[in-house]
Amino acid sequence: MEAPLISTAVVGHEFGPYDVTIPAARAAAYAEAVGGAESPDYGDSLAPIMVVAAALTELIADMGLFSGGLQTIHTGQEVGWVRRVKIGEKVDATARLAANSVRRGNHFATVAVSYIDSEGIEIGTSTTTIVVTGQASS
Amino acid sequence: MSSNTTQRAAGDNLSGFERQITQARVDAYAEASGDHNPIHLDETYAASTQFGTRIAHGMLSLAIVTEMLATEFPDTWHSGGKLKVRFSSPVFPGETVTTYGEITSIDESNNGLIATCVIGCKKPDGTDAAAGRATVPLE
Repeated sequence: MEAPLISTAVVGHEFGPYDVTIPAARAAAYAEAVGGAESPDYGDSLAPIMVVAAALTELIADMGLFSGGLQTIHTGQEVGWVRRVKIGEKVDATARLAANSVRRGNHFATVAVSYIDSEGIEIGTSTTTIVVTGQASS
Repeated sequence: MSSNTTQRAAGDNLSGFERQITQARVDAYAEASGDHNPIHLDETYAASTQFGTRIAHGMLSLAIVTEMLATEFPDTWHSGGKLKVRFSSPVFPGETVTTYGEITSIDESNNGLIATCVIGCKKPDGTDAAAGRATVPLE
């Protein structure tokens, strides 16, 4: 199996852009999973964390962290949002590896993500910190 | 809870709530988010990890915490809100988490009043599953 990208990527490596547009069906499934009837009614808007989660999934796949043998633990998260995002609104996410170190055989990585609307305006940012343990297996 | 966010003061508690993190909820979250990491879904795999069993997605706990912020600050959380949390302890399916928050300060900024809050959610044993800070515009 090819080594996961986290093993070779250097700080500054860019990922994406990812289309993290959230259609209505996915928004509804997400809302149902998180809280269902107990959740606030966001109307035609999205909870920003939903967009962040969509980008994170793309990112983890791109970094090769779904490889067998690896354990990826999410240890920290930052999110900042500028304005409401409508369900179905076009949003692209671009990520940059902000830190990547190895200690005692474990990778500690931080990835910063910028969310851009169809006008090219940044509407949100997030920073994810993960720890990856184990060895990729074939 | 109040939608009149300009009447907030340091020391105000946010309205926390309880929510059970069932495996069904974790499975549904995996489908919706696309995060199919087996540590959340595959008990056999998860048994071989440091946790010994499946754990919920950290982002699921965080999503629940942000629901508290969206409820407390319905007009402003999604338009200028920021947060930073650390996932301190894993949540195991079947556990109920309790969200909490408190406004620790309110400060003037170029964009108006900003509330700084401690936020998080606790596991049944009182330990933090996620804990950190949020800043939210009040106007």
